[in-house]
Amino acid sequence: MMALLASPHPPTIFCALSCKRYHLGPRIRSPPPSLLLLPARNLSLVLPRCADGSAAAADGNMEKKDEAVPPTRPLESEKNKQPHQQQQQQYHQHEIRDGSVVKAQALKFEDTRWVGGTWDMRQFRKNGSTDWDAVIHAEASRRTWLEDHPEASSIDEPVIFDTSIIPWWAWIKSFHLPEAEKLNGRAAMIGFFMAYFIDSLTGIGLVGQTGNFFCKTMLFATVVWVLLIRENRDIKNLKKLFEEMTLYDKQWLATWQDDAPGDSKN
Amino acid sequence: MASLSTTTSTAAGDSLRSFAGLRRETRILRGVAAADAPGSQLRRRQLGVVRASRTSPRLNGRKLRVAVVGGGPAGGSAAEALAKGGVETMLIERKLDNCKPCGGAIPLCMVEEFGLPLDLIDRRVTKMKMISPSNVAVDIGRTLGPDEYIGMVRREVLDAYLRGRAAEAGASVINGLFLRLEQPEGPGGPYRIHYNEFSPAGGGAGERRTAEVDAVVGADGANSRVAKSIGAGEYEYAIAFQERVRIPETKMEYYKERAEMYVGDDVSPDFYGWVFPKCDHVAVGTGTVTHKADIKKFQAATRLRAKDKIEGGTIIRVEAHPIPEHPRPRRVLGRVALIGDAAGYVTKCSGEGIYFAAKSGRMCAEAIVEGSENGSRMIDEGDLRKYLEKFDKMYWPTYKVLDVLQKLFYRSNAAREAFVEMCADEYVQKMTFDSYLYKKVVPGNPLDDLKLAVNTIGSLVRANALRREMDKLTL
Repeated sequence: MMALLASPHPPTIFCALSCKRYHLGPRIRSPPPSLLLLPARNLSLVLPRCADGSAAAADGNMEKKDEAVPPTRPLESEKNKQPHQQQQQQYHQHEIRDGSVVKAQALKFEDTRWVGGTWDMRQFRKNGSTDWDAVIHAEASRRTWLEDHPEASSIDEPVIFDTSIIPWWAWIKSFHLPEAEKLNGRAAMIGFFMAYFIDSLTGIGLVGQTGNFFCKTMLFATVVWVLLIRENRDIKNLKKLFEEMTLYDKQWLATWQDDAPGDSKN
Repeated sequence: MASLSTTTSTAAGDSLRSFAGLRRETRILRGVAAADAPGSQLRRRQLGVVRASRTSPRLNGRKLRVAVVGGGPAGGSAAEALAKGGVETMLIERKLDNCKPCGGAIPLCMVEEFGLPLDLIDRRVTKMKMISPSNVAVDIGRTLGPDEYIGMVRREVLDAYLRGRAAEAGASVINGLFLRLEQPEGPGGPYRIHYNEFSPAGGGAGERRTAEVDAVVGADGANSRVAKSIGAGEYEYAIAFQERVRIPETKMEYYKERAEMYVGDDVSPDFYGWVFPKCDHVAVGTGTVTHKADIKKFQAATRLRAKDKIEGGTIIRVEAHPIPEHPRPRRVLGRVALIGDAAGYVTKCSGEGIYFAAKSGRMCAEAIVEGSENGSRMIDEGDLRKYLEKFDKMYWPTYKVLDVLQKLFYRSNAAREAFVEMCADEYVQKMTFDSYLYKKVVPGNPLDDLKLAVNTIGSLVRANALRREMDKLTL
């Protein structure tokens, strides 16, 4: 995949936005001199430099224009929008030289808190304890970066970060609780209006409804429904999942399907 | 139809139908693999195992003739077992020096079961590195014993060896291209196969020949012509694309006993990219089922991910081949059976096929030898179905578990991250290698299994939570 990455926006906006969130976002390293040995035609599309140091990168081999690369998602919306737009125009071809794997440079993920293949916990301290939300955020941004700019895996600097060091309550606080709040809210609203509706239809009040077996069953069904199906596409997903679970079995049993008497030809 | 054969085949069909019916119900309703195996065995023993050959006509003055089409691991081991069992065997292979594009990994049990000489194995892989989409690298293999390894072989060497053994056992190995087969005219009639025989001197299109045989074993791989002749049906297949790269000696040292597996959307949407060491070079490749048109892009991405380790290498060969994803709808028809890739016996998740090809060849041959009482009787479809039964029952748990793993962990980048995280666990490593090397799905300690289940769910939840955070970032 070819990526000629543009330099980030003027430093002021970058720093302003990033200082709000964290110290420094991913930086682009200036290319080592070996890159400059590439033929001149490849460098003709190098972008104007910026104070941070620009990066021109060519990597790997590519036989055709890389149309299938997903639209590069800006890391922090508008500050990266323009550079990324420029970036997409800079894709160009780099032929495979016969029989050789071309040496190339690629962008690397850089962050001051990413040390030695893992996140340095000491840099995430806030008010004496570790800011786990920031760790989660940092890891998410690293993965997003790598999804857009896949990197070579390195033997000297292996990635050894393990998400299990983040304690369970941090995950619950960040992800489970907001979702739970949303679902409970929905359940409460549905519950209130159903209680009203049934009361208006049958005259059974709230106390009577909680004692009635049918009402309790419907309550249970509603809870299960709300848990499993949160968006319309969940219904389709569940159906697909069920089909998937049994498809492989069916494929293996296919050869046994036709052992009706007339079939065994001799 | 001779009444004798009809009754025997219906009787055989009855017992098999009940077995199949049992499996069908429990499999689809419960969706649990192998739970009913003991029960169905008992059932069958109660009904009595029908020996179809007891009432099959005796062959007068000649042995049973079987043609094995295709001389790879499946064909070679089938031909050897047939010849050893006293059956007149002909093995037809179109290219005797074929370098089949292949990962080339064989499990330990294959070396033992097939008595392979150790010098067949170019390298012994004892360390495997799994690399996630965000380059988290996990080494697996800590739990391997000192003489446990994954053998890397060159297909041309392995195939030639197995064919040589078949020839020694009495099979006649013919260099020819199978064209088509004609169904027998009446019950018990011979199959007529048409093939082009190539002269040893080489060159030319070869001479058209026909041969009459009593049974045909189709071992001619993913694009099997035998399968087409019997209308076995199609299967979904993956394209595996591989480049052999000769890298400098210093870099080769890293791969001395190590193979790598790269997972990620960039490398493959539903499979993995690999770097496998061969005799003096490495094979860098990837595969996909759903996005075959983008295979070159995936290959470039695989090369990029392994860049540091294969830099400065030269590509000496580029190859590709289809890999079946599941068995063909019909693997046996009349006295024609499919084995190996032709039948579709490649596992999901790991894409392993050599061992199952060789094993299915042997099982098919053994079923034919048994059904024909060492070549003295005619066989019928029931005998071949016995091979199917045996194979399915023995390896179904393995296939199902790998299918579940693939569905669970190759789904998305988040699932792949969880997968690699799970591989760091020692228990997982032990279970994985035990089941890979010995082809037995061994249930471990239930407490450890529970811990494993909890850890798996934890990993998946964390990875998916990170995925949601990633999506939030890009909104």
